[in-house]
Parts: sequence; structure tokens; C-alpha cells
Amino acid sequence: MTLPGFVIRNAFRNKRRALLSTLSVAASLFLLVVLQTFQREFTLPPEDVGASLRIAVRNKVSLGQPLPARQRPIIEKIPGIAAVTPFTYFGGRFKDMEFTPFAQFAVDPVAFTNVFVDAKLPMDQLEAWVKDRNSCIVGEDTVERYGLKLGEKIKLVGTFYPVDLDLKLVGIYSGTLDDRSVFFHHKHLDEMLGGSQTVGCWWVRAASSEEAPGVISTLNATFANSAAEVRAETESAFQMGFVSMWGNVKLLIGSISSVVVFTLLLVAVSTMSMAIRERFRELAILKAIGYRRRELFGFILAESFGLAMVGALLGAGGAYVLFRSLDIEKLTGGMLLYFEVTPRILAFAGTVAVALGIIAAVPPSLAVARTSVVDGLKTLD
Amino acid sequence: MALPLKYNIQNVLVRWRSTLATVLGIGLVVGVYVLMQAMAAGIEKSSANTGSPDNLMVTRKGSTSESSSIVSREQLRSLLYSPEIARNAAGEPLVSADVLILLNQPRRDGGGEANVLMRGVSPRGREMRPQVQLVEGRWFESGKREVAVSKRLAVRFANFELGGRFRSGPAEYTVVGHTDGGGSAFDSEIWMDADEARAIFDRDQYSSLLVRPVDVSAASNLVSRLESDKRLQLLARVESEYYTEQTSTAGPIKWLGNFLAIAMSVGAIFAAMNTMYASVGARTREIGTLRVLGFRRRSVVASFLVEGAFLASLGGVLGCALSLLMNGYAVGTLSFSTFSETVFEFRVTPWLMAKGLAFSIVVGLLGTLFPAIRASRLPVISALKSL
Repeated sequence: MTLPGFVIRNAFRNKRRALLSTLSVAASLFLLVVLQTFQREFTLPPEDVGASLRIAVRNKVSLGQPLPARQRPIIEKIPGIAAVTPFTYFGGRFKDMEFTPFAQFAVDPVAFTNVFVDAKLPMDQLEAWVKDRNSCIVGEDTVERYGLKLGEKIKLVGTFYPVDLDLKLVGIYSGTLDDRSVFFHHKHLDEMLGGSQTVGCWWVRAASSEEAPGVISTLNATFANSAAEVRAETESAFQMGFVSMWGNVKLLIGSISSVVVFTLLLVAVSTMSMAIRERFRELAILKAIGYRRRELFGFILAESFGLAMVGALLGAGGAYVLFRSLDIEKLTGGMLLYFEVTPRILAFAGTVAVALGIIAAVPPSLAVARTSVVDGLKTLD
Repeated sequence: MALPLKYNIQNVLVRWRSTLATVLGIGLVVGVYVLMQAMAAGIEKSSANTGSPDNLMVTRKGSTSESSSIVSREQLRSLLYSPEIARNAAGEPLVSADVLILLNQPRRDGGGEANVLMRGVSPRGREMRPQVQLVEGRWFESGKREVAVSKRLAVRFANFELGGRFRSGPAEYTVVGHTDGGGSAFDSEIWMDADEARAIFDRDQYSSLLVRPVDVSAASNLVSRLESDKRLQLLARVESEYYTEQTSTAGPIKWLGNFLAIAMSVGAIFAAMNTMYASVGARTREIGTLRVLGFRRRSVVASFLVEGAFLASLGGVLGCALSLLMNGYAVGTLSFSTFSETVFEFRVTPWLMAKGLAFSIVVGLLGTLFPAIRASRLPVISALKSL
């Protein structure tokens, strides 16, 4: 019998225990991967085509404070700016839903397509949108989810604004990270509000990535000490702003992850100890026939390591396959967008499993090493 | 005949080495479960704790929350002298026209920035919210760029200490007082004078009105009058009821808590099964003896189930004890209804602990069921023969 064969046989001689240990490691690692993915979802700014060129300009007070529309010509004159569009969150309710899972924004259609270059829209649809002030374009995901058709009227009840919209769907866009939103004419909103002179924020595209930092500082400086000071920042910095708003929730998920890892360790150590206690006598015999402590540790380590690895494969691999095949965005109604199990997260879970396999082997090995052959042979169970 | 309880309890205690890990594991699972639910409970409690049933909150029809509502000065004027509204000793109507403004401010720990809700509150507004007490410093004076900040926010944001100064918009403000909202949603607010705030932030309109009706019938009168008034487009709700409904943030936390509990308990059940199988294996002879003594199979099953439940409930108690350490600890996160930082406390209620304990017992029973059945099916003779 070869040594690996010996180890494998030992590992599976109590099949039920091997299975249960592996499964409990798998369940915990699955959870760990889910938590890590969850945390990543909340803390990672989305990488997007053109995101490095895009700049968000909001009121310095907060996103909730509007900006005067008269800023637009001033912004347009800043060198290094390719396009600028107003961008106003409408916050409408669709079909009397408690929570409408897609946002609606008032924009300038032509400028919008120049800023958000990754939003793909057929040429004829773009023309129709630009032409008709009461029209809108809707992201592919929302169109699919609600079975919307071109030419259909979309009714939105205003929660932020005292007006309701009745927009004609003329275009379906796709290609952005989050193809869910509705975009419509800012002029339409202004008219509905009786000649409003404000916008929610501005989105700007810099002509090149070299010019972007300069554009940002010029934007901030231009409106400094004016009635409406602005905060211009890159798209990823803007998104990171939301992350910091989550406050203690981030820390909470982190702490739960550590609790999970710790629990996992406890369970694994106790299982391994159980497995070794069962065959104390055999190990004593091995000792008696000349195996050294180091070699016995090797046996135990190999077994514990193997179980941890199989558990990791099942748990972390299972999570990977599961979230790959599920459409998380649809399942959670758009609350979670990507839920991607990245190689980094898998590597983390793998590292935890390796550490687990090694640490779990230590206490039983110590117990074996400390026990003399005679005492070992005397043990009954 | 049932086996004495003492047998199981002592069994658990005697084998403490192998049961310790399982008990700890279950304890941690229960602890996480109770804490997540305590967080949701904290959010709900803080909402439910806010406002008075004597006041009516008036917002724009169609707006989902106070912060997305707009009330014009004309609307205020048409309501201000309504006969339904009570007056104070000086004969002024008890109406507070508030304006809500989100301020983006740096956190104290250098962890980026977050939105904070600033309430521009009119002089009557403070009278009408006796829940909010000044605990340090003094109240703001109008026109001096002074604010009072909740003491719970003060520990979370930079410059919110007494005498601290911060900028937002065209003005710089001085914190002159710290308030305590008694665990209500007001603990997540900065207060300053309403008209001053409107002037600084160029707000023509108010966000909401708080009115105190003369009595209950006046209140229902006013509610239905506004309901039917198509011209005003306002909606009146009892203030405390309005806040009770603003708990959308608790939903996802509850969901996450349940998910974690289920996923972690799967692992814990496997671990408990392992322990109990080992326990059964080690006691084969003992079980055989019990059977020979005349204990029936179902007694053996019941006995092991009791043992598993006891073992798990030790974990449950441990978990509840661990979660109690966090009771009252203040945390903050983004509120979905105000889009700003909401501060609340972990609320480990007796009900949650009972749920946690019940949960641990379920884990214990599920983990023990198969080992218990196995124990009861051991053939008596070979069980006695085994070493």
C-alpha cells in the first residue's frame, strides 16, 4: 500500500464523518464567498467604458441640492470638455410600485449620447428621441422585464417633483453596466415644472484622460465662492462616495466574515481531533514500528488538508458556478447588479481553506506526539 | 419509559472537549442571527419611537417621504389659520414649516463623506417635538448661522463637536448645542432655523408642515379636508404613524440576516451531526446496556434528541449572551427613505433572544435526528460486545 493510498483510506474510513466534515467546511466557505462578493458589490466602483473620462458635477452641499441651469454655458467653455449634459433624477413611480427598481433621469439627448458613449442606441431611434420632446429611451433590461414595446406610453408619477410624466418609448439602449434607466428630455421636465431653472447635476466628458484632472480642478475652481459651489469628481470617485455612505454596514459584513472563518476553524479542528482520537491506538502502533512524529504529523496533515480542499472546492467552487449561472440582477430586482465571484475572492477562500487544513492538523498531532506508545496502545476508543 | 434528563446533561458536560467546538459554533451562528435581527429591530424601533400621535405631518400628495416633499408658502398660508389647528399660550398656531436639506459632510474617522439630514425647523417646531432635548450647550439663534446637532451624529462626523465649525453652501455654521432625540429618527438630524436655512440654500419652498390639531376630531377633519381638496394637493398623516412606516432600510438587513442564519446553520447542523455521531459511536456499549435494561428504541431516540437540543441550547445561550454585549451599541448606515445617515442602536429584545434560542434548538434537533435513529437501531448484542 502506498502512502497516499494509506492517507486516503484513512480519510474515508468513516465515510459519514468525512462527508459531514467536508460539507460543513463547504457550507462555511460558500457563505464566506457570498459575503465577500456582497461586500465587493457595495464597495467597488463599477468599471465602465469611458468611465475614466466621465466627470460628475454635483452641488457641493450634497447631491440633494440642485444646480442652476445657467452654469451650462460656463461649463461648456472650459477647455478639455467634450460634452456636458444636465442629469436630473426624477424619482418617479412606475405602475404604482412601492419601490420602482429603475431610475429616471432628465437629460439633454444629444449631449447625453456624447457623454455616455457606451449607451448604444440605433441611429433612427436616437433621431426619433431627439425630435420628440415627450419621448424617452429605456434600458434593455427594463424593457425586457416589463415587456415594453416601442411606441408605448410610459407613465411615471412624480415623488420628488409635483408632476407626472407620460412619455413615449422611442428607443431602447444597451451596452452600459446597468441597462435599466429611463432617460427623457430635460426641456420636457422644465416645461412641466413651469420653466424651472435648475438641474440635479451635470455629467461631463473630458476630451482625453490627460485633460480630465485639469477639467476637474477647473470646474471646482470656476464655481468656488459662487451661490452654487460644485464638487466635480471622476465617475469612480463619485460612486465611491456612495460606498462611504453605507457606514458601519461594511464593517459589519467584515466582522461576520471573520466570525464565519473562526467558526469554521473550530469545527474543522474538532472534527480532525475526533478522527484522530478514534485511531489513537493505530497511531501508537505506527509509532511502535518506527514511524517518526514528523511522519505521523504528515499523515494527519495530509488528511486534514485534503478534507479542507475538497470542502473548498465544493463551497467556493459551488458559489462560483451558482452565481455564474443565476441571473442575480433579475432575481434581486436590480438590487444587486453583478455579484461576480472574482478570482481574488476564490483565492481568498482557497487561502482560508489551506490555513484551515494546516491549523486543524496541529492539535491532534500534538496529542499524538505527546502520548507515549504504551499509553496510546492502552486507549480504548 | 423515558430516560432521566440527568443522563443526557451529564453526558454533554462529561464530553466537554468534543462538544465545546459545536457549542461555540452554534453560539456564533445564533449570535450573528440575533445581532442582524437586532439591527433591523433598532431601525424599526427608532422609527416607531419618533413623533407624537398628537401631531399631523403634512406633505405633498405623491411624495413618498418628507425629504422628497415640497410645500409652498401659499399652501402654508392657506392652512396656517385653519380652525382645526391648536394655538399656544401666545395665540400662535402650532404649525412648524420645516425644510430638509441633505449636507455632504466628512466623517470623523476619515472614512470618506456621507449625507446628513439638516432640518430647518421653525420656532413652533421645537415646542411640538418635546422628544428632542438639549443635552449640552444651547439652542441655535436665528440669523447667526448656528446649528444644534444630535449628540449621536456628533461622534460620527468631523467638526460636529460643541463649538465646531463646518461649511456647506455659501455659509459656515457653528455647532452651539447637542441634542438627544431619545433613540428616535431625530437623532440623525442637524437642526437650524427654517427661514435661515431657506435663505442660505435658496429654497423658496418648505419640505413639510407639522401641525397640532385641537383634538382628535379636528385631526380627522383636517385629514379628510386635505384629502378631498384637489387644489391643495397635500396629504396629512399622524406624525408617529408616518415615521413608523419609514422603515424600508430594515428590510434588506432582515433579509441578509435570515440568509446568513440559514447558510451558517447548514454548516452548524453538519458540525452538530458530526459531534453526535461520534458521541453515539463512543457510547455504543452504553446504549446496548440501556436497551438490555429495557429502555425502548423511542426512548433512546428521545433521549439523544434531548441531548442534542440541550447541547445546542447551550450554544444558543452563549450566542444570546454574545449578542447582548452589542446591545445599545450605536451604528449608522444609509437610510433609503432620507438618503442620509441614519443612526440607530442594536436592540437585542427578549423576543429576539427567544427566537435565537429556538433557532439553536432546531439546529440541535436537526443535527441529532440521524445519529439518534442510528443509536436506537444498534443491534443490542453486538453493541454490548463492542469495545
